[in-house]
Amino acid sequence: MTVTPASRFVGQSVPRVEDQRILTGSGRYIDDIVLPGMLHGVFVRSPLAHARIDSIDAGRARSMPGVVAVITAAELEGIVQPLQFPMEVANYLRPVFHALASDKVRHVGDQVAFVVAESRYLAEDARDAVEVDYDPLDPVACMEHAKDPARPPVFDDVASNLFYTETMDVGDPDAAFAQADRVVRETLVAQRVAHVPLDPRGGVADYRAGTGELTYHATTQAPHNLRQALAGHLGHPAEQLRVLVPDIGGAFGQKALPCREDLVACAAAKLVGRPVKWVDDRLENMASGGHAREETLELAAAVRDDGTILGVEVKMELDQGAYPYVGLLSPLFGWIVRTVIGSAYRIDSMRWALDVYATNKASYGPYRGPWAAETLARETLIDRIARELGLEPVEVRRRNLLRPDEQPRKLMTGPTLEGLTSLASVERAAELVGLEGFRAEQQRAREQGRRLGVGFSTYIEPAPGPPDYWTSIGFPAGGERAVARLEPDGHLTVMTTQAPNGQGHETTLAQVAATEMGVPLEHVRVLHGDTNAIPYSSMGTGGSRGATMASGAALHATRAVKNKVVSYAAGMLEIAPEDLELADGKVSPKDAPDRGLSLAQVARAVYSAPPDGEEPDLRSAVFFHAPRGGWSGGTHCCVVEVDPETGVVTIVRYLVVEDCGSLVNPAIVDGQIRGGVAQGIGIALYENALYDEDGNFLAGTFVNYLVPTAMEIPPIEIEHLHGLSETFDEVGYRGVGEGGTIAAPAAVVNAVFDALGNPTDIALPLTPERVLELVEQTAAMP
Amino acid sequence: MTVEVTLTANGEQRSAAVEPRCTLADFLRVELGLTGTHLACEHGVCGSCTVLVDGASARSCLMLAVQAAGAEVTTIEGLAANGAMSTLQEAMRDTHAFQCGFCTPGMLMTAAEFLRDSSRPDERAVREAISGNICRCTGYESIVKGILLAAERAA
Amino acid sequence: MTSQASVKPPPFDYVAPSSLDEALALRAEHAADSLVLAGGQSAMPLLNLRMALPATVIDLGRVAELAGIREHDGGVAFGAMTRQREAERSPLVQSRLPLATQALAHVGHATIRNRGTIGGTIAHADPAAELPAVALLLDGELVARSTRGERTIAAGDFFLGVMTTALEPDELLVEVRLPGLSGRAGTAFLEVARRHGDFAIVAAGAAVALAGDGAIADARLAFTGVGATPVRAREAEALLRGEQPGDEVFAEAAERAARDLEPGSDAHATSAYRRRIAAVLARRALREATP
Repeated sequence: MTVTPASRFVGQSVPRVEDQRILTGSGRYIDDIVLPGMLHGVFVRSPLAHARIDSIDAGRARSMPGVVAVITAAELEGIVQPLQFPMEVANYLRPVFHALASDKVRHVGDQVAFVVAESRYLAEDARDAVEVDYDPLDPVACMEHAKDPARPPVFDDVASNLFYTETMDVGDPDAAFAQADRVVRETLVAQRVAHVPLDPRGGVADYRAGTGELTYHATTQAPHNLRQALAGHLGHPAEQLRVLVPDIGGAFGQKALPCREDLVACAAAKLVGRPVKWVDDRLENMASGGHAREETLELAAAVRDDGTILGVEVKMELDQGAYPYVGLLSPLFGWIVRTVIGSAYRIDSMRWALDVYATNKASYGPYRGPWAAETLARETLIDRIARELGLEPVEVRRRNLLRPDEQPRKLMTGPTLEGLTSLASVERAAELVGLEGFRAEQQRAREQGRRLGVGFSTYIEPAPGPPDYWTSIGFPAGGERAVARLEPDGHLTVMTTQAPNGQGHETTLAQVAATEMGVPLEHVRVLHGDTNAIPYSSMGTGGSRGATMASGAALHATRAVKNKVVSYAAGMLEIAPEDLELADGKVSPKDAPDRGLSLAQVARAVYSAPPDGEEPDLRSAVFFHAPRGGWSGGTHCCVVEVDPETGVVTIVRYLVVEDCGSLVNPAIVDGQIRGGVAQGIGIALYENALYDEDGNFLAGTFVNYLVPTAMEIPPIEIEHLHGLSETFDEVGYRGVGEGGTIAAPAAVVNAVFDALGNPTDIALPLTPERVLELVEQTAAMP
Repeated sequence: MTVEVTLTANGEQRSAAVEPRCTLADFLRVELGLTGTHLACEHGVCGSCTVLVDGASARSCLMLAVQAAGAEVTTIEGLAANGAMSTLQEAMRDTHAFQCGFCTPGMLMTAAEFLRDSSRPDERAVREAISGNICRCTGYESIVKGILLAAERAA
Repeated sequence: MTSQASVKPPPFDYVAPSSLDEALALRAEHAADSLVLAGGQSAMPLLNLRMALPATVIDLGRVAELAGIREHDGGVAFGAMTRQREAERSPLVQSRLPLATQALAHVGHATIRNRGTIGGTIAHADPAAELPAVALLLDGELVARSTRGERTIAAGDFFLGVMTTALEPDELLVEVRLPGLSGRAGTAFLEVARRHGDFAIVAAGAAVALAGDGAIADARLAFTGVGATPVRAREAEALLRGEQPGDEVFAEAAERAARDLEPGSDAHATSAYRRRIAAVLARRALREATP
């Protein structure tokens, strides 16, 4: 008789589990949560970049209709502990700061008080009535100010605004530059951008005085980390603290760490004895939710005239704003840039310098591929090298990218590279865009006064990265836990540490588990977002770990349960386990498939009468290491047309050749890539979280902060390479979430510069006005 | 000052007393418990709050509830009839149109109006139709494909 | 704007008159401190962000007699509360005012045009709005009414400054009259915006009518986004009259037009950039408008 194989869900674009609620409007996001007696809290925020707080008069506000409390730093003393990065790190200044600004405000939008009222409308009315007496200080509105000793310190307890500095030689940069035929230089000014999740930050703090339990509904990517931080800073026992994560409408790193507002809301709930909700409005999210990517890089490449890169010099300056993200230190992003900038290229020497400055701006934090400056800087530098040498940019990549036979090989900074298909991805991208034909078309267009350009961007990202990558950057990411449990009805529950915010983990992890267990997809439920139920993780969702780490953990937890099921069934059927197989929800003897037991039968037997000497439940917890880790990567290729009279850039074509190993759900993978590319295009051409020279924030609304729409983002063609085998680390899937955002900006910038000639320095975004300046600059060149 | 606002929401007559400054979005979400409509900017740019008012798409954050008194309002909750998804919703599921779901209500209501009023749209027309709806997750292509698929299936 | 701005409107008294007389009486009574709510697409953001703090909001949405499209002087007269979407779809507007139809395509997005009104956007007078430039180019007339009576204001006298018009505090704009163009006139409306549907950085509207011998009988050129108010480039128009259409003469007229402009600088573009692309758009619009 025929044996029906277990259906394989992995590798198929199965419809998403999440879509049932999302498409019918029955998702439950933070602002949808309504609890009996719930109050609304809004923050009073500073209109000034830098000022002492002389006094706060909340008397009138407190007496307004519906107002229950106005909380300032004074009310929080003793209730919320001050914040400081917990470890000493050489060369790093660690200021002490508070959940509500007490002595000074340090950026426009810094929170000074928390107004709690019966409705958001009434809370905003009362907010207008809170009178704060500010004594303005000179703002430190940019890195130039931060370098100026005449400007005040952002934090008085650390007397400098240079928060971190390091220099380092890797390999032998002196020799590299001595041997060079020429040195190619570039300055890149990358602008501050904002994450802009459509669903802003928020929380609902629910404190039950009778039991001492504090439940915090929170838009967090890392629920256990948040729970620990709340427990520690509120002095609230962790075992009486529960974090629940609702549906999250996007995060991109903005919600990866606890925020000061979380502490205030929880403290407020304890003080007023009723549930308290806070939710950013868009203006707050723009000004205070955190920013990213504000870096200036000065680069020099020691090259031979044939395009071989001998070494690089990189000087990086990072504007970290005022307050550190809770539990994170901003130099980390510089360390990752330093570690990964060599990428898939044969670059073995580097002179490196990193300076991190504090300024009167919102916090600089992790944003989808936080180290992306390395790709932007390197890929634009490579194109510059090509232009100065009169070579095709693809040719310079060809001459410097690692071949398969050269791997495994170590980055000059230590981590192991293996399985990279970057070279193949460049060739394929050039083939797909039809490079030769394009050059002819470009020439014809130029004769007609039109400017076309093509740009490439080759990148790799640690997804999750080999263990020696994580030790190199000094960040203990480690393995990941999952728990699988067979229910009495034979269905499977998988408990994950992931806190999804659009990645479709409820679907992809179910695909992995259902395939392994041999059950229908609908029989697997993925449980997440409840610290009472899910296993511990400090990281939660982020770092492109989901595909490998979460899937790997889910796979192994399910396999362990499967093995238990087979073992119990063996006892029940009195047949050796190796003579049994589990398929289509049944455990059967291999030679008598109709004699089997359903999963429900096995489960019910174990639940009612666990066998002696065995574990009583069909449950398994695993900690999955990816012993070799892995890199994802590829090449993006962008074709643009630049209007030489207006500077407007139109993207004519965009394609991606991506290698992220095996795909659990191809549609979900491609969605992640396209979304990342859209953000990258935004970075290249549209977005700017801009402050002026007085520290005023100019991008507080969607009128000034330009997120691209469906008319600005082109169709994005995607082709997948599969460089590593499916058995690499037992799960062939590697992360893909961040690659689009990392690679896209350079592809666009390179395309624009290819259209124009060889403009000098790069300052993003390439607005039409900036492009027009570059048109004039290159028109004037010989 | 309060006003009694009565309107029809997804075919059902509903009433609540609110201040005149209460926006239609908050009326739907808070007074009527229809939290499917989302707020992401409240200054009329992102489109997440889009609903249909007497069949015409409207940004519910840019309307006072009292302006919709007597009108027929359709929200995302009103698209599926008797628990069965509409052609549009099914098409969006089949193209994996969405990721986090926050822009979804506005996208669907905008798309519903567009599909009703156009015949055999091309990609350009679809992109223009949703150009007033911001999505941060998808890069739009899967949404465009979903709308085109819905148009094809409805034809 | 400081970060203390909100997203929920402040408290206000609300009235919804059902006749024009009632509306005018209310406007007179609350002249000092009222906000007129037409389509709400410009007014509601001001209320939500608490940039406007009126004591009273007068909602014109129930004044049926204020909406309507009728023929006027070879062109069209719009009741102030006519929705932009209705104007966009009107065959009368499409045939008599092709420039308005072209400009309307750039006004926000379809959803905004469902509620936004012709009168509302004219009275709001955003310096980068499209329809005020159209009114200026077509030598339109704005009809204002109050309890004191009615008066007609030429478009050239209507736009006084940033979001400032000639309307008195007790007046309501009741009708927008846009005459048609005579003769064989073509039109064009070109815009540079950062994204599709955004306010214009600069936009140029042009109309060109040719005489029997092919020379330019009449040329009109107007800009928005180039200063506090829309601008009509009359000197440039004079240069063009009687000339044979061609790239050189269009370029000369465009330069002449741009030379007189004093645009502002903001986060999106500098004054210099605006002046430059005003010239580019003017040249392109004139060429496209030539029949």
